[in-house]
Amino acid sequence: MKQGAIAFLPLALGVALYGFAFGILAAHVGFPFWGVAMMSASIHAGSSQIVAVEQFAGGAALLGAALAGALLNLRYIGIVASLTEILRQSPLPVRLLAIHVTGDENWALTMSENARDPKIGAAFLIGSGLVSIVTWICSTALGALVGSALPDLERFGLGFAFTAAFIAMARGMFRGRRDVLPWLGSFALTALLVIAGMAKAYAIVFGATIGVVLSALQRTLRT
Amino acid sequence: MSYSHWMLIALLALAAATIRIVGLLAGSAIRRSRYAPILDDLPGAIIVSLVAASLADQPGPGWLAAAIALATAWFTRNVIATMVVGVASFAALTNLPV
Repeated sequence: MKQGAIAFLPLALGVALYGFAFGILAAHVGFPFWGVAMMSASIHAGSSQIVAVEQFAGGAALLGAALAGALLNLRYIGIVASLTEILRQSPLPVRLLAIHVTGDENWALTMSENARDPKIGAAFLIGSGLVSIVTWICSTALGALVGSALPDLERFGLGFAFTAAFIAMARGMFRGRRDVLPWLGSFALTALLVIAGMAKAYAIVFGATIGVVLSALQRTLRT
Repeated sequence: MSYSHWMLIALLALAAATIRIVGLLAGSAIRRSRYAPILDDLPGAIIVSLVAASLADQPGPGWLAAAIALATAWFTRNVIATMVVGVASFAALTNLPV
């Protein structure tokens, strides 16, 4: 466990910076620092939290905001499924703890270390995950404390920080040429629907759906 | 914190826990099914739609700042750098004395 915790430390710096930035944004939407800490402890999923909070700030209905955040988190079905082998011999409570503390970064680290040395497994995952979640809780709460002390940040374009964060996330998710057409479809349809006056939460659902459909069509045509 | 703030945390936490437990119990079966690619395609499609939704009602400077943020993200692949450059560009472009 200690090995995983130590190995994760350099990555924890990145988590802390991201968490701090998220905390500032969440404070801006009215979350107190302890609320942000509670959110980070119970959810522990950066992109999901940032998307839900942005939708919430934009006035989307509560369910719409939660749904947007949850949909983005669906990839964890695959991430957790890939841990089946590593967690096979652990008792259920340990498995539940392991999957809660698993985030993108410590999952990737554990998988790559496990590929190099099969002895690296559940203990490494949990050790790195505990450092990850503690860093996430503390940095987001600290960001919220600082954010609530700062004056009217909207004037300096803080709202645009969400857009920029989404652009960066999209860059990280881009898988090459096969994403170009579906993503253009999603972008164009969502933008057109919003311009035509549709509520953003619904436009996003239609836009994302057309992207998934176009991806599936491309796959069918290729085979 | 209002009722809505509490509910957002509760709903998201419930969803996050459910998704992780589904992954633990049925993840392998889902990954072998023909619906597996949807799990991989969905996050990107949602994020791109979110960018579109937040830009759609922006005036020109917002789109220009987004282009600058995209270039930053493309070359640095770094969320924090993209946020800093994006917000700075947005603030500079929208506060230009024109």
